[in-house]
Amino acid sequence: MTATQSSNNHILTEISNAMADAVEKASAATVLVDARRRFPASGIAYSADLILTADHVVERDDDINIVLPDGSEISASLAGRDSGSDLALLRLQQSGAAQAEVASQQARIGQLVLSLGRPNTNGIQASLGVVSAIAGPVRSWRGGLLEQYLRTDAIPYPGFSGGPLVNTSGQILGVNTSGLARGTSLTIPVPLAWQIADTLAKHGHVRRGYLGVRSQPVTISPGQQKELHREQTSGLLLVSVEDGSPAETSGLIVGDIIVAIAGQAVADPDELLTSLVGKVVGSPTPIEVLRGGKGLTLTVTIGERP
Amino acid sequence: MVVPLDTTTILAQSLSSLTQWVKRSLVVVRNGWQGAGAGVIWRPGGIIVTNNHVIAGGKAWVTTADEQEYRAKVIAQAPEIDLAILKVEVENLPVAMIADSHGVKVGQIVLAIGHPWGQPAAVTAGIISGLGSVSTPGPRGSVEVIRTDAQLAPGNSGGPLVNVSGGVIGINTMVVGSDLGVAIPSHVVNNFVNEVIGNLVEVLV
Repeated sequence: MTATQSSNNHILTEISNAMADAVEKASAATVLVDARRRFPASGIAYSADLILTADHVVERDDDINIVLPDGSEISASLAGRDSGSDLALLRLQQSGAAQAEVASQQARIGQLVLSLGRPNTNGIQASLGVVSAIAGPVRSWRGGLLEQYLRTDAIPYPGFSGGPLVNTSGQILGVNTSGLARGTSLTIPVPLAWQIADTLAKHGHVRRGYLGVRSQPVTISPGQQKELHREQTSGLLLVSVEDGSPAETSGLIVGDIIVAIAGQAVADPDELLTSLVGKVVGSPTPIEVLRGGKGLTLTVTIGERP
Repeated sequence: MVVPLDTTTILAQSLSSLTQWVKRSLVVVRNGWQGAGAGVIWRPGGIIVTNNHVIAGGKAWVTTADEQEYRAKVIAQAPEIDLAILKVEVENLPVAMIADSHGVKVGQIVLAIGHPWGQPAAVTAGIISGLGSVSTPGPRGSVEVIRTDAQLAPGNSGGPLVNVSGGVIGINTMVVGSDLGVAIPSHVVNNFVNEVIGNLVEVLV
C-alpha cells in the first residue's frame, strides 16, 4: 500500500479497535440466561443482583440459571415480568454482575450500533448495523403497547433476545427482542426499558390503568381548541362508559370528549393507553374533557387493569 | 474525539484501497465440473489454500487476478476442516499478507472477499461476530472458528477473511445452510500448511 493509503487506513484501524473495545466493555454486563427448554438467551445486568431480559425467553419461574461473563453460574428467581413490553427482571441469589452503562444520548437513525448476545459459553457474540428506524407507539402481539421502539439492520442471531443494543462506546441503547413482533427483532429503547425494569423491581409487574370507557377519535375544531387552550386537532369521544367503572364513578358520561389526562394531551387511543401506565394507577388524576362545547376537568381515581 | 469533516470519504477510500491490495492474492478455483470457489496465494512457490469441497473431484484450475489460468496440483486435503492446498508451477505470484489470528477480537471490522454466486472478486464487510469452535470428525475432534456477520454466499468458499490492515485472518468456509459465516483461523491454516510443506520437503529429499 502507498504511504497515503496506509495513513488513511489508520482511521479504519482505530474504528475497528474502538468497536472491539465497545464489544468488550458491553460484554461485561451481558449475561447468559438459561430459563427455557430451547437454547439459552441473553440478559443485561441492570444492577449487581438484577438481570433484565426478554420475557418470552423466561419459560419457568424458578430453576433459572445465569452465567456471568467470567463463566460463573448463579441461580436466579423471577423478580417481575411484563409480557406487554416483553421484559422480565431476574434476581440473582448472590450479586456479582457488572452493572451496564446506559447511553447518555438517545439513539439516532443512521448511527452505528452493535447487537450483543451471550447464548452459549463460547464468549460474547456481536453483529454490526445501523439504527434503521425509531418508531412507535406499536401494539405488540402479546397485547401490550410499546411507546417507542428501535429497529436495526444488525443480524439478530439465535439467543440474542434479552441482550443489549449498544453504541460504539459500548453504552446501552436498548434491549433486543424477537418476541414483540413476529419474524423480526425490535429494540426497546433504554429509557423505556429502564423505567419498566424499575417498576418491575418495585412492584413485580407493570401497573396498567383501567378507566372503563370505549372511545373513538374525533376532530377538535379551532374554536374548541381556543376554548380548551390546547392545540391538539383531535380528542377521544366516549361512546360507552361501563357501570361501576372509575370513569362512571368520577362522572364521565357518554358524549364527553377526553382531551388530556394528568395534563398531557390525549389525541388518539394509543396515547390514552400510554397515559394510563405507571404512577397514575390508583391515584386521583385530573382528566380534561370537552362537554357541550365547554372545557371541564374531572378527577378520576384510575383503577388497575387485572 | 475530533472527527475530520471528510472521515467518511477517507474511510471509503481506505476500504477501497484495502480491497485492491487483497484482491491481488485472490484466485478463482474451478474443478472442471461445477461451480467455482475462491483461493488465497498463501506462500511463495505457488502454494494456494482453498476449501476442500471446492476441489471435491480432486482436480483444480486456478485463475489469478491478472486473469491467467493454470492447472493446479492438489497436494494436500483436510476434509474435516474443509481445507485443501494447491500448487501451481508459477514463480512470483503475489503472496497474501497472513495475519496472526490468535489476537482477533469480537467487534473488529472484517472484509470477506470471494466470488459469491459467481460474481468475481466481490467484497462484503462486517465484524467478527463470535469466536468459538465446532466439532469435526476425525482425530482433530474440534476446530477453532471465526464467525462473522459479513454476508457470505456459495463462491465465497476458500476466500479470505481479512482485517483492516489487509491481513488474512481466516479462510471462509461451510457457508451452506446457515446465516452465520464461518472462517477457519489463519493460525489453523498455517499449521496445516506447515505440516504439509514439511512432508513435501521430505518427499523431495
